[in-house]
Amino acid sequence: MENSQPAPLALDPDHFNVDFTAESDLEALPPEEPGLAPKEWMQKNLFSSVGSTILTIIFSIFALWALRGLFGFMFSGERRWDAVATNARLIAVERYPLDQFNRIWFSLGSLLAMAGLSMAFFRASGYFTLKRIAMWLMNLGVLGLLGVILTPGAKTEVPPVVEGELPTFIQDSFGEAIGGRIVWILVSLVTLGIGLALWYGLGEDRRRTMRIASRWVIAAGFGLAVLSLWVVPYGRYFLENGVATSEPGLVAASTRIPWTIMWATFVGALLLGLALRDRIPARPPKMILGLLWLLAPFILNWIVLRDPDFDYDHVFSTDIPMALAFMLVGGALLYWLSNAGIGEKGKIVSIILLAFALFNWVAGFFGIYPMLQKARLSFLFLGLFALIAGNFSRDVRTRMNYVYAWMGSMAIFHWLVTAVNSPSTLDITSDTYLGGMTLTIFVAWLTLLVSFPLGVLFALARTSDMPIFRLLSTTYIEAVRGVPLITILFFFSVIIPLFLPEGMELAEVAAVVVGYGLFSAAYLAENVRGGLQSIRRGQFEAADALGLTSGQRTSFIVLPQALRVSIPPLVGQSIATFKETSLLAIIGLNDLLRVANNTIPSQTDFVGSKKEGLLVVSAIYFGVSFAMSKYSQRLEKRLGLGTR
Amino acid sequence: MSTIGAAGVELGRPDMIVSDGVDKWYGDFQALKGVSATIAEREVVVVLGPSGSGKSTWIRCINRLEVHQGGSISVDGIELTNDTRNIDKIRSEVGMVFQQFNLFPHLTVMDNITLAPRWVRKQPKADAENRAMELLERVGIPEQAAKFPGQLSGGQQQRVAIARSLAMEPRVMLFDEPTSALDPEMISEVLDVMKDLARGGMTMMVVTHEMGFAREVADRIVFMESGEIVEVGTPEHFFTNPTEDRTKLFLSQIL
Ligand SMILES: Nc1ncnc2c1ncn2[C@@H]1O[C@H](COP(=O)(O)OP(=O)(O)OP(=O)(O)O)[C@@H](O)[C@H]1O
Ligand SMILES: [Mg+2]
Repeated sequence: MENSQPAPLALDPDHFNVDFTAESDLEALPPEEPGLAPKEWMQKNLFSSVGSTILTIIFSIFALWALRGLFGFMFSGERRWDAVATNARLIAVERYPLDQFNRIWFSLGSLLAMAGLSMAFFRASGYFTLKRIAMWLMNLGVLGLLGVILTPGAKTEVPPVVEGELPTFIQDSFGEAIGGRIVWILVSLVTLGIGLALWYGLGEDRRRTMRIASRWVIAAGFGLAVLSLWVVPYGRYFLENGVATSEPGLVAASTRIPWTIMWATFVGALLLGLALRDRIPARPPKMILGLLWLLAPFILNWIVLRDPDFDYDHVFSTDIPMALAFMLVGGALLYWLSNAGIGEKGKIVSIILLAFALFNWVAGFFGIYPMLQKARLSFLFLGLFALIAGNFSRDVRTRMNYVYAWMGSMAIFHWLVTAVNSPSTLDITSDTYLGGMTLTIFVAWLTLLVSFPLGVLFALARTSDMPIFRLLSTTYIEAVRGVPLITILFFFSVIIPLFLPEGMELAEVAAVVVGYGLFSAAYLAENVRGGLQSIRRGQFEAADALGLTSGQRTSFIVLPQALRVSIPPLVGQSIATFKETSLLAIIGLNDLLRVANNTIPSQTDFVGSKKEGLLVVSAIYFGVSFAMSKYSQRLEKRLGLGTR
Repeated sequence: MSTIGAAGVELGRPDMIVSDGVDKWYGDFQALKGVSATIAEREVVVVLGPSGSGKSTWIRCINRLEVHQGGSISVDGIELTNDTRNIDKIRSEVGMVFQQFNLFPHLTVMDNITLAPRWVRKQPKADAENRAMELLERVGIPEQAAKFPGQLSGGQQQRVAIARSLAMEPRVMLFDEPTSALDPEMISEVLDVMKDLARGGMTMMVVTHEMGFAREVADRIVFMESGEIVEVGTPEHFFTNPTEDRTKLFLSQIL
């Protein structure tokens, strides 16, 4: 994307959004430096002097050697890749019951549908020029060929897939060992050929100007992968009565069909979003999607995957009436509080409300009066909503939107809490029904959701004018940063449950997420603080001179700018959080790493096959982290960081 | 200690800004030494003085961007005290234009202008936007509404900043060297807007080095040095016939 314009995107959201740009768009493109021919490029960048020539040669040899090592490892006859293939499900979802697997597919499908719609509505698509695509294909082809040549050891067994399908003359002339390589040579040559055809088939101009939105590249890549399930005989690997078994042929239909549906869901959502986005107002769908991304981990985890067994008597007699009471009475109160003429009276009422909400916990702790935990939380939310009521005292519509927001939050909150409190129908003995990849993703996602608001709050507190806030926040941040994460995790998973009052249980996963969240919040706070400090004094003064309150100044002027500046460190911290979920393995939860490191190598068929799983798991960690990092670069560009 | 006579009496208009014996210290350094002046409604006062004389400090005390430690300041009859309600009231009556524009870089021109009316004055979005378009037309750049500040020239940015202040319908406008950060060819477009405002009857306090503007637009000129008001007078008096030696020296240096 190096040739995209630096112009800010918010002005022209379609800027990154050109689909199949034809030549008519030529004028619209920024003038680009004429690309150098490969030969000239090499001369300029690699062989410009004796020194650089030597360096280029040394590093090429080093790179080739490393490649040889990697391929040698991957294709060595000792590798038991069937350990990974057989246990693919274990890596993905650990021991989630097979008969409930539709819940997994439903969750994945929802996420893909949300992703497709979001890509369309947020116009979050860059583009690849055909030049870039051609270059990638050529590089891949060359890499493949190099790999075939470099891979050591001709003793590679011919995989069952290839056997019999090779023309006999090849087998005769090259022997069996070369069999596996032939396929790779062919694939590499085809890739290289397509790349070359693209490169030379289009003139320089068209190569540069014709481009494909990356959403279509993603859809096509996903599609090709799914298609390959229908044509490439990957073979079937499964455990039969605890014995690893394999059959040649296509993968199982129970894999092929759901993945095809997943792909169709994604592409369908994408197309639907693209069709709708110019016909309906842009704001509501964006807001709904944003909300869904926030709620998805809760809803999918506690409702879809966990399948709560609601006790309907209790639901109708207590849960629903209570939720309705909070929605209606609270709503009426908030409507009254947001009336423009309320003045000081409103402030006093909301402070009393907040004090009452906090006191409920004290009362619970000393057993003064009982109250359901969710009622306590609801009162706290009501107090917080009341505190900001003054900002919505504009007209009836604004006030009503504010009341609806309250009612919606209450409905969702009470529904979720009721679901969490109901026992699960799943027949799983362990503490969590999640494992492998799902556990890793769930913990990372929830941790980020918890720690972002907390981190921002701590950063604001640390830079506030009130010494008490500064002191508390600084103490907290320094304390957390002085303790290793693993200590915090042990603390939360083992010790906290011992201190909880009777009758209150915290699933180990939840305890761990709290630990992760508090830890990561301290680091996020420091990143945000850096952003806050970069805001010029003039911005504060302009906001003050306009009469904005300090809350409005913070939320409209200071934070948006501070967060924008902090994107790179914030993403760095998010990536760190994602990778640090691997510590779950140490405290004994079955996350991605633990499945690869402990579970698979302890199966009788695959005793000691650790390396394969670890390599795959590393690739997954790398893939996700790399995607996050790429996305943050896009985001920075989009928000025009550095251009203003 | 220097005082301007109650201008309201001379002009027959009510007082708008009353600064009475205002003192301001930065640590041990006294930046304002008993500054007293009264500015009437619809009056345009230009504040002149050498660098470091306290012009910015004084003007910034008037909307509480700086806190004065002695004397009193009141605007439209409301006295500036630690009471935040009074501060809020005064800030919504007093607009300020800065040397460095201080537009909000992450918001479009339109959002820059409508933010305060919508959230402080609680105007409905559509009304605020209509009003913003009127103001942009008045400052001559209606076509820039959708752009971001970083995409505008300095002169255009300063005109947006003026429109942003005017959107709050202030009764007083403070200008602290509004043209000092501008390239010469853009100065006049900003001064034109300010002249237009003055003609429209806005009460204005302007710190500037633009002598032409002072001569043409000011009702009175206040000359400050070392934190004190040295001399006050009409432009005619000030430029042709100053009484104080320090004023004469200053004029000889800049004219
Ligand atoms: N935040 C501050 N801390 C300490 N001293 C300050 C501060 N702000 C201003 N001063 C001092 O107060 C005096 C008056 O400053 P002020 O900015 O009001 O001058 P000015 O007349 O506006 O000058 P200029 O024409 O250069 O803008 C100067 O000597 C300056 O050094
Ligand atoms: Mg100044």
